[in-house]
Amino acid sequence: MDTSNPAPFVNAELLKRYPGRRVRCVLKVVRAEGNSSLSGLTSDGLHISVKQVPSVASLSQFVEVIGVVDSDRTLRAEICTNFGDTFDMSSFNQLVQMANSEYQSLFI
Amino acid sequence: MYSAPYGSQADGGSLFSGGGFMPTQSATQSADGISRKSGGTQNTGLLPLTVKQISEAAQNSSDDTFYIDGIDVNNVTILGMVHNKEERSTDVSFLLDDGTGRVEVKRWIDGQDTFENEQIAALQDGVYVRVHGHLRSFQGKRNIVAFSVRPVTDFNEVTYHFLECIFVHLHNSKANGMAVKGPSISSPNYGNPVGGGAPSQYVTPNMTGVGGSMDECQKRVHSVFEEPSSLSSEVGLHIDDVARRIPGFTKKQVKDAIEFLVNEGLIYSTIDDDHYKSTNG
Repeated sequence: MDTSNPAPFVNAELLKRYPGRRVRCVLKVVRAEGNSSLSGLTSDGLHISVKQVPSVASLSQFVEVIGVVDSDRTLRAEICTNFGDTFDMSSFNQLVQMANSEYQSLFI
Repeated sequence: MYSAPYGSQADGGSLFSGGGFMPTQSATQSADGISRKSGGTQNTGLLPLTVKQISEAAQNSSDDTFYIDGIDVNNVTILGMVHNKEERSTDVSFLLDDGTGRVEVKRWIDGQDTFENEQIAALQDGVYVRVHGHLRSFQGKRNIVAFSVRPVTDFNEVTYHFLECIFVHLHNSKANGMAVKGPSISSPNYGNPVGGGAPSQYVTPNMTGVGGSMDECQKRVHSVFEEPSSLSSEVGLHIDDVARRIPGFTKKQVKDAIEFLVNEGLIYSTIDDDHYKSTNG
């Protein structure tokens, strides 16, 4: 058991709360720039960019990025997982908000 | 949707709990200060949990039982990413990381079952899996002995799992088996995503098509027919009953609204032309 290095669920708004920390965030991919960075929309509808994307064969429409917060609008990726083309961002966004407020004790 | 009470004596709950491990005492307060319920209501079926909750579960020092939110924990369901997979001849083990922490999961291999072998082959580092298993403590470390390890294919299940963890936590900690008055959790839209749309309140499925075009009176009348008491009535409602329940509209308006709803296929007449019932009932 190890809970010393959690990766909280975030959207763009909550990214600011975790500078330098490991977080996880589902993005709707807007475009892949080159083969190591991408830009996408967070579940609260804001653009962020992701650096050091591990080379993935192909990205689905929705991608989960686990990585370290570089700035308010940039993530440095560690793991990217394809979340398919049908992911409900509004439900996810509600989960993100609950996991960082009222029910934070269950998560981090 | 969640009518089955979590934490009550569900018949299925004891199926996997393994006879030897069931606490039989009905202590209300154990030595280490963990309050629990008396015997009989302790079997909890399958509890959805985060790894953080598992790590914080209180453990009875005398036997091998865990408590979360005052409830016995036997079988759990967790969801996360596979790391450090190790395959041996008798078992496969890995660390499951759900973003709140990591826990060791072990699955014994029968060796005979080809379906089982296929499942294990599908387990690779970085894959999201849903694990059903038994929580236990071994040499002071908590781990999960899995009955089932299944890759996640629809990732709305990730959202769903954590919402369910919140719901069950609320259910067990606040309500103790009574109806939960928590915040309404809109469950993720399995297989029918509404990408980007505003979170919508639950509406009866067949209202969505015409809801926008109904006037106030028609909506009010329709909602009267959709009330549980109206749905359960054999003969439905009399026009006068409907009119009485929505003051402020004339009987003529109510009649017109009913005619509209009949034409839309939302209600139908029952024993005579004055009684109507929802087609949902």
